[in-house]
Amino acid sequence: MKKKQWERLMIAIVLLCTIIGGFIGLTIADVTIDFSLAAAIICAPLLGLLPRFFLAARHKKKMGNIPEADERTALILKRYFLGVLYVVLFGSGAALLVLYAMGVESIETGLLIVSMMVLYVSIAIGTLIAAKL
Amino acid sequence: MRVVNHIRELRLKNGITQIRMAQDLKITRQTVNAIEKNKYNPSLELALKLIKYFNVPIEELFYLEGDKE
Repeated sequence: MKKKQWERLMIAIVLLCTIIGGFIGLTIADVTIDFSLAAAIICAPLLGLLPRFFLAARHKKKMGNIPEADERTALILKRYFLGVLYVVLFGSGAALLVLYAMGVESIETGLLIVSMMVLYVSIAIGTLIAAKL
Repeated sequence: MRVVNHIRELRLKNGITQIRMAQDLKITRQTVNAIEKNKYNPSLELALKLIKYFNVPIEELFYLEGDKE
């Protein structure tokens, strides 16, 4: 399969997962899904994808067929993810120890979900920055 | 020992822009800039591509710092 086809397939999978996740989330939360809610769940990821297409078109117009990544990008990302691995491993361990020392004996799963979400978003932003260095 | 190169001089001598070079070699403009500033040593594959691109011997393009040019 060509690179472009893989890219399209990945975008389709991400979109599909986002939409399915939206429906699953609402089902878990016992929310009645009406037409407007379903439309919002389906249209929001599609609208969110539009800036990506605009940016890609702008990049192509400005830079021609310059690739977005090369061997140096791969090296930078490898180093970045190695750093992330250590920070997450030791950071979460240290955070747990600090919390235990502070007398916290249990953690709410909701709080864990939020902290994981913050972690994922920061890693994603860091990845985007590292890829553009 | 640090590896230094003459890529910037050669590129300017041939009147090639960083963007054009990046397009021709299928690398990013940032990589061209990093190589020119000696902040990044290209892989052997890219080094060979650069030699072919500028049509010069390897010792004319890359050399160790301190070595006689």
